[in-house]
Amino acid sequence: MSKFRKKSPWILHYNTGGCNGCDIEILAALGPKFDIERFGMLNRGNPKQSDILLVTGPVTLKCRDVLRRLYLEMPEPKVVVAMGACTFGGGVFRDFYHVENGVNNILPVDVWIPGCTPRVEALIDGMIKALDVWEKKSKDKEYLNNHSEELLKEIGAIND
Amino acid sequence: MIGLLMTIFSPIIGGLISGVERVVKARMQSRVGPPILQPFYDFFKLMDKRPIMIHSFHASMGVMYFISAWFAFAVLMLGNDLLIAVFFHVISILALSMGAFSVRSSYSIIGAMRELIHLASYEPVVILCVVGLYLSTGSFDISVILSSSNAPIFTLPLLFFAFVGAIPMMLHKSPFDVAEAHQEIIGGPDIEYSGPFYEAVYTGRWIENVFVYFLVFLFGGGNFILGAFLVVATFLLVTLIDNSTARLDYQRMLKFAWVILIPMAVFNIFFLALGGN
Repeated sequence: MSKFRKKSPWILHYNTGGCNGCDIEILAALGPKFDIERFGMLNRGNPKQSDILLVTGPVTLKCRDVLRRLYLEMPEPKVVVAMGACTFGGGVFRDFYHVENGVNNILPVDVWIPGCTPRVEALIDGMIKALDVWEKKSKDKEYLNNHSEELLKEIGAIND
Repeated sequence: MIGLLMTIFSPIIGGLISGVERVVKARMQSRVGPPILQPFYDFFKLMDKRPIMIHSFHASMGVMYFISAWFAFAVLMLGNDLLIAVFFHVISILALSMGAFSVRSSYSIIGAMRELIHLASYEPVVILCVVGLYLSTGSFDISVILSSSNAPIFTLPLLFFAFVGAIPMMLHKSPFDVAEAHQEIIGGPDIEYSGPFYEAVYTGRWIENVFVYFLVFLFGGGNFILGAFLVVATFLLVTLIDNSTARLDYQRMLKFAWVILIPMAVFNIFFLALGGN
C-alpha cells in the first residue's frame, strides 16, 4: 500500500512572514506551464488532510506557535520542506528583533530548497526529493518520535 | 443483476468519473492534469495515514455519510421506489452536516449550515424531477421508467434543464459551491476529517456523483443511447460551467433555485398534467 503513497502528495503551504516571492513561484507551479498536479499534488489548505508541509519565510515570533500547531495537526507520515534562503538561518532577515532565524529552530526539516527566490524547477525538484524521503517514513515510528517527551520539550510544545 | 453489479462497483465507477473529471478540467485549463486513476491513489494513500479523530460521533457520522450514500444508490439500483431513494440521499447529507455541527471548528459549522442551504435549494427540484418522471412514464419504479418506449426528456425538457441547473449545487461545482468553498472555509463540512475517515467522506462524494448522473440517465427512458448521450453532454456542460464561473454567495444560489429553477420545473409539470399524455 505504501507504494501508492508517492503518487498523491497533498501540500500544505504556510508563509511565515517572508516577502511573498516564494508564494508567487508556488502559484506558478500550480498553473498551466509547470502543472504540479501531473504528480498528483494538490494544494489543500488543510493540515489534517495534507502530507507535505511547505514552509516559506523566516519564522516571525507571531507565526511560531501557529507553525508548530500546523505541524502537530498533520497526521503521520509527513514531510517538511523549507523553501527559500530565509528559511535557512533567516537569510536577509537574520538577527532581526522579530525573527526566529529559520524553520530549523522550530521543526525538523527534511528537504531544503535553496535560492532567493528558488526557480519553479528547483521547487519541483525539491518536491520530488521530498517524495523519496516520505516513502521511507513509517507512521508508527514517527508517531512515537513526535510524541516523545524530549522532542515535545525540544520543539517547545510543553512548558512554552 | 446489472443493478446489483452497478451497486457493488459504484465506488469504482464514481472514482473513475472523478478521475476523468479532473483530467477534463485540467485540459480545459490547458494543463496536462493527473492520471485518470489519481482518485484511487489518493484513496490508498489516505488509508495508509495514521487515523486521527476529533471524537467518535464525528468520525462515525463521516462513515455514516458514506454508508447511507451507498445505501441510497442501492435502493435506486435494486428496483425500488425512486422517491424513497431520493429521501435516503437526504439522510446521507444530514449525517454529514450533523457530524460537521458536532465539532467546535467554526469553518466546519459554517460549512454544515451552508450544506443545509444547498439541500434547501436543490431538493425541491429533485423531488419535482421525480414527480415529472412519474407523470411522464406512469411509475416510480426504475425498471418501468427504463423500459418506457417514449423518452421522458421529450415531454420534460424544461424540467431537465432545471435539473441540470441543480447539478452544480448537488455536486458542489463552481457557481454554487458555497458549502465547500476551498479558499474561504477550507472544504466546509469535511475540514476536520483526516486519514481513513476523510477517505470515507471522499468516497461518499464519488457515490453521489454516480447517483446524480444516474438520475440524468433516467431521462433517456428506454432509449439507452439517448440516456448515455445526455449523461456525457451534462457532464461536459457541468465541467465547463465549473471552470468558467466564479463562486456566488448563498443568497443568490437560493434565489436562483427558488425563482428560476423551481418555477421552470412546476411550469413543465402543470403543462404535462393539463395536457394529459
